[in-house]
Amino acid sequence: MRHTALLRTVTLIACSLCLLVVVLGAYVRLTAAGLGCPDWPGCYGHLSPSGAAADLQDRANTTLASARPFELGKAWREMLHRYAASTLVALIACVAALTWLWRRERIAPPALALAVLGIVLVQGIFGMLTVTWRLYPLIVTLHLLFGLTTLSLLWWLLLELSRPRAAAIPRPGAALARALAGIGLLILILQIALGGWTSSNYAAIACPDLPTCQGSWWPPADFRAAYALQHGAALDYEGGALSAPARVAIHLTHRIGAMVASAALLLAALIAWLQPQRYVRRAALAVLLMLALQLTLGVSMVLRGFPLWLATAHNAGAALLLLATVWLNYSLQPDRA
Amino acid sequence: MNPIDAQSLQLGATWRDYLALTKPRVVALIVLTAVVGALLATPGLPPLDALLFGNLGIALAAAAAAAVNHVLDRHIDARMGRTRNRPLPSGHLTPARALAFAFVLAAASMTILLAFVNVLTAVLTFCSLIVYAVIYTVWLKRATPQNIVIGGAAGAAPPVLGWVAVTGHVEPQALLLFLIIFAWTPPHFWALAIARRHDYVRADIPMLPVTHGVEFTRLHVLLYTLILCVATMLPFMIGMSGPIYLGIALVLDARFLWLAFALKFARRDELPMRMFRFSISYLMWLFLALLLDHYLPLSRL
Repeated sequence: MRHTALLRTVTLIACSLCLLVVVLGAYVRLTAAGLGCPDWPGCYGHLSPSGAAADLQDRANTTLASARPFELGKAWREMLHRYAASTLVALIACVAALTWLWRRERIAPPALALAVLGIVLVQGIFGMLTVTWRLYPLIVTLHLLFGLTTLSLLWWLLLELSRPRAAAIPRPGAALARALAGIGLLILILQIALGGWTSSNYAAIACPDLPTCQGSWWPPADFRAAYALQHGAALDYEGGALSAPARVAIHLTHRIGAMVASAALLLAALIAWLQPQRYVRRAALAVLLMLALQLTLGVSMVLRGFPLWLATAHNAGAALLLLATVWLNYSLQPDRA
Repeated sequence: MNPIDAQSLQLGATWRDYLALTKPRVVALIVLTAVVGALLATPGLPPLDALLFGNLGIALAAAAAAAVNHVLDRHIDARMGRTRNRPLPSGHLTPARALAFAFVLAAASMTILLAFVNVLTAVLTFCSLIVYAVIYTVWLKRATPQNIVIGGAAGAAPPVLGWVAVTGHVEPQALLLFLIIFAWTPPHFWALAIARRHDYVRADIPMLPVTHGVEFTRLHVLLYTLILCVATMLPFMIGMSGPIYLGIALVLDARFLWLAFALKFARRDELPMRMFRFSISYLMWLFLALLLDHYLPLSRL
């Protein structure tokens, strides 16, 4: 029992830190600080940006600094993200070790804990690639998706450690509710990927108005260029490398995706509500509210002229909506015990 | 009957009866929404005379409308358990006196608004009074199950009236506050109508649960609650309110949605009344949240 409580606490801290790292990552991207330290894992070969700053002052030339000027603020943001992420890796290693150590007590499935560790290590590699490939959009988007996968799996582990779920005896309509929650999750993941694609291609400001885009319902849009996964060579991809019509196409897809995802999640939450268990209904309500929050943040971003805090909140909203949807799926899973 | 009761009956009307005639608790909520409308109309504090006289005029008009409603509905009120003890059905006041009282209140309201506020506020307040006291009470209420939806326009007017008292013209932000109360009215009222449907059958009022059944009404309560949730997000979307409002609104919406879902699918007998009571606190807290957000620095984000 004490083992369960301890593991739950460590997992809760890891999960909270993971959410913070994801949002911090979005903040780094949104303040164009992703190349604040153009090398990896250090910053201009130093452990901290202040060390780098002192060093760069000493020798005014340096090959690294010649390409882009050193900015202390951006370097700090990027390094804070890396420090927090490294701490997270250590915490997740603890969670995996404890789960493995106590595997006979059947507190939590050790396979899940090991999977989180595996994913977060892959995520570390994507973090490196984000920098070394100089913000190549496909890498940036995958970095976001693996970050959210880490978060979701940690969350699932936390749920395993603390929340009840559907009884082994199936109730009428449970299979339908489960299927719809699964479809909702799948569509949401696609929509988040589109959101990451919008951000990494700097396509948000392509449509500065809503519900129209540039004053028209369907402005010139280049979908072929928008979804060519490979981008042409560029010095780096900060600020985006695509043409204006391609960015419009990306933004429009994300808007249509928002409508599709909303419909799917609304339906999933509604059908889940028909299940009698209180914890299923709580999860369904959480999905509805986080959906309302995320749609509000998305629309507000455009209407209020893309302020930084709202754009960051829109990323946090995506993470929270994902967690709510994962929770709904969890609560509808039949208990194995 | 003990001697004191007998004495008070012989003395006839007391100030308590006149107060009851104005539906003070309803007027309090109306004035709250009007005050919030007035305060939200400007970045800082609005001119004190517009704030004070504007809301006094609106309050008096609302009280007058309530008194007229008592007079016109006295036969219905006598047949419903909830309203049997109102001043007119109980015989404490005569209809003529009540009507005279309503007229004095309305005249005072118009005088104050015309003399100290502005013509537009007076005209809009008068229109709301007529819509509620005459069009709704005399005709709509008995004509269609959409009575409270359409009549809700009168109840949704106060924040606009408060706003216009300060600025002198109608603005989109004020209409947003109107929209919120307009969307709030059907779930608020229909929850009560479900709980008191037998009263409405007896009084022969075509409320939705009476004409289309309880199940249909529950569905419409849920659908209007969803619309309400969307409407309450709009002040944030257009940058009229900030994150504090958004946070409080989401919490309130969560509770309201939970009750609306429970009303539709759980069907316990105490739910309609609980939803009705919560809907009142909901509107109160929502408008206080608008106010709080308006005066805290975070709202300028």
